[in-house]
Amino acid sequence: MTKVYVGMSGGVDSSLTAALLKEQGYDVTGVYMKNWTKDLPGMKCPWADDLADAKRVAVQLGIDFKVFDFENEYKHKVVDYMIEEYKLGRTPNPDIMCNQEVKFKLFLETALEDGADMIATGHYARVEDGVLKQAVDVNKDQTYFLYRVTEKALQKTLFPLGEFTKPAVREMAKERGLYTAAKKDSQGICFVGQIGIREFLSQYVEQVAGPIIDKKSGKVLGQHDGAIFYTIGQRHGLDLGGGLPYYVVGKDMDKNEVYVTTDLNDETLWKPELTLSSVHWINAAPTEGTFKVRIRHRAPLASATLAFEGDDVKLVLHDAERAAAAGQSVVIYDGDVCIGGGIIA
Amino acid sequence: MDPKVLAAMQPYFSDDFYNPSAPYAPAIVVRRAYEAAKDSLGHAIGAKGDEIVMTAGATESVNLAFYSIGGHIVTANVEHHAVLEAAKQFEHTLVAADERGFVSSAAIKAAIQADTRLVSIALANNELGTIQPLRDIAEVVRTEREARLSRGDHTPIYLHSDASQGVGQLDVNVARLGVDLLTLNAAKVYGPKQVGLLWSASHVALKPQVRGGGQERGIRSGTENVAGAVGFAKALELASEHRKYESDRLGTLRDGLESKLVAAFPQAVLSGHRKHRLAGHLHISFPNLDAERVLFALESRGVLVATGSACAANKGTRSHVLTAIGLAAEVADGSLRMTLGHLSNEENMAKAAEYIIEEVGREYTRVQS
Repeated sequence: MTKVYVGMSGGVDSSLTAALLKEQGYDVTGVYMKNWTKDLPGMKCPWADDLADAKRVAVQLGIDFKVFDFENEYKHKVVDYMIEEYKLGRTPNPDIMCNQEVKFKLFLETALEDGADMIATGHYARVEDGVLKQAVDVNKDQTYFLYRVTEKALQKTLFPLGEFTKPAVREMAKERGLYTAAKKDSQGICFVGQIGIREFLSQYVEQVAGPIIDKKSGKVLGQHDGAIFYTIGQRHGLDLGGGLPYYVVGKDMDKNEVYVTTDLNDETLWKPELTLSSVHWINAAPTEGTFKVRIRHRAPLASATLAFEGDDVKLVLHDAERAAAAGQSVVIYDGDVCIGGGIIA
Repeated sequence: MDPKVLAAMQPYFSDDFYNPSAPYAPAIVVRRAYEAAKDSLGHAIGAKGDEIVMTAGATESVNLAFYSIGGHIVTANVEHHAVLEAAKQFEHTLVAADERGFVSSAAIKAAIQADTRLVSIALANNELGTIQPLRDIAEVVRTEREARLSRGDHTPIYLHSDASQGVGQLDVNVARLGVDLLTLNAAKVYGPKQVGLLWSASHVALKPQVRGGGQERGIRSGTENVAGAVGFAKALELASEHRKYESDRLGTLRDGLESKLVAAFPQAVLSGHRKHRLAGHLHISFPNLDAERVLFALESRGVLVATGSACAANKGTRSHVLTAIGLAAEVADGSLRMTLGHLSNEENMAKAAEYIIEEVGREYTRVQS
């Protein structure tokens, strides 16, 4: 019998994942990955409750249950990476890093060493022979977060939820009487939760006031409390009073300056070309041509022409897209296959 | 909470909402009700109402006692966290309980120093149900006090007991127990949460930790929790009334459950004193099982139990009591703590035994396969 270790977070998705695999005849072990346990001001980390819920479901299903402690590695590979990127003025995606470094590397390796033949998670995605495909529920599809996973890892991975819609998953969890069937979905970056990235970063970086400057006139419009907290394209939180809304179109991290404009046609907001570095292809690298791309989770797929520039990839968008910030990932699709992507330089 | 307790409290949340310190007539009615409640609480422990300070629970009472008297303090390693954490603020000695969780008066005697001012031992252990030899300990404290006086040493020494755990089943008369200070908690007798009391004998001087309008003889300022006191008084009255009957009843039910479980699982380990144990307590360990799995399986069937360790896979959450009595890790992690109470009866205890046997059996099968 194939031995599958299912990453169980205590949520409904991974609970049903374990249930379905057990029904399909796999020898299932539930694993809670203890990645983050720290409370933040205004947000109690729910890890202990989540762990208990995951274990409750494991008991319901009569499967073995383990806890893998990845707290140190997670802090190092995901949280520190995220903070460093922000310090460089970039906008990283910690969930992508978590999948690359923790779930589909550390968890996979630890599970295999522990006797597993495969791993599974509750991600909404499909995998066939090491090829990653979009979930049937395009609204829930999570391939954006999975594009940096390796083919080798995917060959050892099952995503049973990729075939179902979220409402169907809830329904199936309910039918099976799973303890977590009605549990609310978690929101946002797991360890940041609902408090927001700004509050999270404030715990780790000093807030230093600096000027907000009108890009066109060079005039100082007001003060911000740290350029690190602003992302290109951002509209909110500038607190500059009435009139037309301002958008962030640039920052100088060394000078701690934030540049804004009211001009929605500003070139920074509508870059037709994107250069991607740290490019990752799940299977073989594609040949140059037209592909679909996604510049943030759940953004609609956009057409783009892909060309190689050394190790980097240049994308020319067919229709102008609201700009994505440096550090963000652009994920590339060939039909419904997620072939990989890169990070905006 | 007992419905009778709720009914007694209800008027003081709405119709009789007046501040008992206010001068107008309707407030005086409330003040009288509050004083009557304290008198009733006093009566239940063989003391006067005005010797009692109402608190927000046993933890506050313990802290008030400790901060009033100070160190050196003698207590035991199986005591509740409230006691252990409060003791840490002072010079203190922790007496080691034996493997039954029993704290001998001889061990207390050996730990008392020339500067010991307070001995604090719970009437009964909240995890194991072991009843401590409080009268013997009181005798040790009294002997020490007399010895000091006879040599002209006026360093006081007092005995405090947190009797929260035993109050529903044991005599808590302060004179018979021989204590100088006594802590009680309402929630342990089906009263409201966040309500407790500290009784102290007239020769003990308490020091205010919360200052303000001078309520509770200036020891604990703040507008009185009238509904809480009334509820506590009702709850303690009911508990005292049914104590003997309830204690016998629970003892029979507990013994029945215990013998069924031990018969089904001969490897099970019983903890706590065999003879001096609260009637409603059963602490049983199933070696090499993850008790938390059994807890989760049982909760879904309506049987609610506690474990000796939470989330067994996480280090450092094993009960300090089980560590203190020297229970091996693989035994402690398979520990279930069961308490019987008002709602327990023959029928649901029979069901509980059946479910526990099934679920523990299921876990043993899973682990061994």
